[in-house]
Amino acid sequence: MPLLNTTLEALRLLFSWDATLWGTILISVKVCFLALLIAAPLAIALGFVLATYRFPGRRLAIVLVQTLLALPTVVIGLILYMMLSRLGPFGELHLLFTQQAMVIGEAILAFPILAALTLAAVQAVDERVAETARTLGAGHLRSAMTILLEVRFAVMAAIVSGFGRVISEIGCAMMVGGNIAGVTRNITTTIALETSKGEFVQGIALGIVLVVIALAINIGLAVLQGRGGLR
Amino acid sequence: MNAVIMNTPVYMQALDNLLQVYGLRKTFGERLLFDVPELSLKHGQSYVLTGSNGSGKTTLLRILAGLEPAQINSLYFAGRVVPAPKICTQLAPRVIYLHQHPYLFSTSVAANIAYGLKASGLNLRQRDAKVNAAMQWAGVQYLAQIPPHKLSGGEKQRVALARAKVLNPEILLLDEPTANLDEEARQQVIALIRKMCDDNHCVVIATHDPELMALKDAVKLRLENASLQTQ
Ligand SMILES: Nc1ncnc2c1ncn2[C@@H]1O[C@H](COP(=O)(O)OP(=O)(O)OP(=O)(O)O)[C@@H](O)[C@H]1O
Ligand SMILES: [Mg+2]
Repeated sequence: MPLLNTTLEALRLLFSWDATLWGTILISVKVCFLALLIAAPLAIALGFVLATYRFPGRRLAIVLVQTLLALPTVVIGLILYMMLSRLGPFGELHLLFTQQAMVIGEAILAFPILAALTLAAVQAVDERVAETARTLGAGHLRSAMTILLEVRFAVMAAIVSGFGRVISEIGCAMMVGGNIAGVTRNITTTIALETSKGEFVQGIALGIVLVVIALAINIGLAVLQGRGGLR
Repeated sequence: MNAVIMNTPVYMQALDNLLQVYGLRKTFGERLLFDVPELSLKHGQSYVLTGSNGSGKTTLLRILAGLEPAQINSLYFAGRVVPAPKICTQLAPRVIYLHQHPYLFSTSVAANIAYGLKASGLNLRQRDAKVNAAMQWAGVQYLAQIPPHKLSGGEKQRVALARAKVLNPEILLLDEPTANLDEEARQQVIALIRKMCDDNHCVVIATHDPELMALKDAVKLRLENASLQTQ
């Protein structure tokens, strides 16, 4: 039973608090959080504006968001790679193969899912929310905050979904991170590398971590959807 | 005695008109809903607005609150011109519209009542005092701990009345405030509306309720055949 043995060994590795392994996990989680911190405010604002106001270019913006959502992560990685590479427009910044480059890439990946889900949530909100806010004297900004507060569970669900997309992707992280041990090597790129070397223990250990994260995310989403459905 | 009269230019006080609308027309595509050459609401006067289902009562109130566009030749509030697209931004919350089924924000009863006060920039202590007074006025203190979406229709209506009353509006537009309420809740709401009228607010009530239609000293308006008649 090689699979069972490897799995047991993987669990042993995880719970022996192996520094390299947990360092890799930490890099993944840190990059994800920073990416969401950058993407969430902008994406939520864009989703709100697209759902609320009618202006020329709105349809095009929605199509662009949806296209971005459908793009394979490796393509976004490729585009960003060309932008950041020495001869690219942002080559001067020397960001390629750094954690910052990964954060930028993952922020771009999280952006469309956050914007699209916020757009859907705000579009579905009861019209009386905005009307009540306005007739009670709220300005544009305060009404916007009120609407987002009314759909807060859906917005949180959007953030959780964004986290899910970003933590589990490999294409962009590999392209712009470069898989440098201890710096840009994260959960997914480690799994790919170790497997290609015929080493499965680390891969399975990290796979277990991803499964646990996916489970936590989906439990979180179920709870949030239950809360959102109160009305 | 009242802030409005003191703020109103002297030459306007004789007219005693708080809101004057000239050349008001509302159409949906080809269909003319109503054509009202002139409508004036007097300070402190109450009005009951009747008319069969679909005659446009709700639409008229929403237009006066600036929540619905319409064709308007000119509109004056307290003697000053207000451009039609700016009705809500300039007149809220001096003019407040209450939905037939009020929407309570999913915060708390107290936060709902404090909503407009917050928008007006009062500090926490000033707000708390006013919110407590308004809750007492509407008899809703016992609801303080209940999530707003769990309140009954009558309770929601009373909280919405308190939420408007706390802002001391000059014009309060009520859309069928007693529809679909049981007898006890209906009497509670009617009592609050009577108090509002006695307090010298200009209250406009769209209703089919015989008891409200017989409200003492109220001017009777009727929407019929696309025109507004004063009886
Ligand atoms: N967006 C719209 N497009 C087309 N017609 C509309 C629209 N909104 C309302 N109407 C129509 O306008 C008419 C007036 O509606 P309104 O709700 O103002 O009537 P109401 O007098 O309040 O009726 P009720 O007594 O049933 O509350 C209705 O026939 C309705 O179908
Ligand atoms: Mg109506």
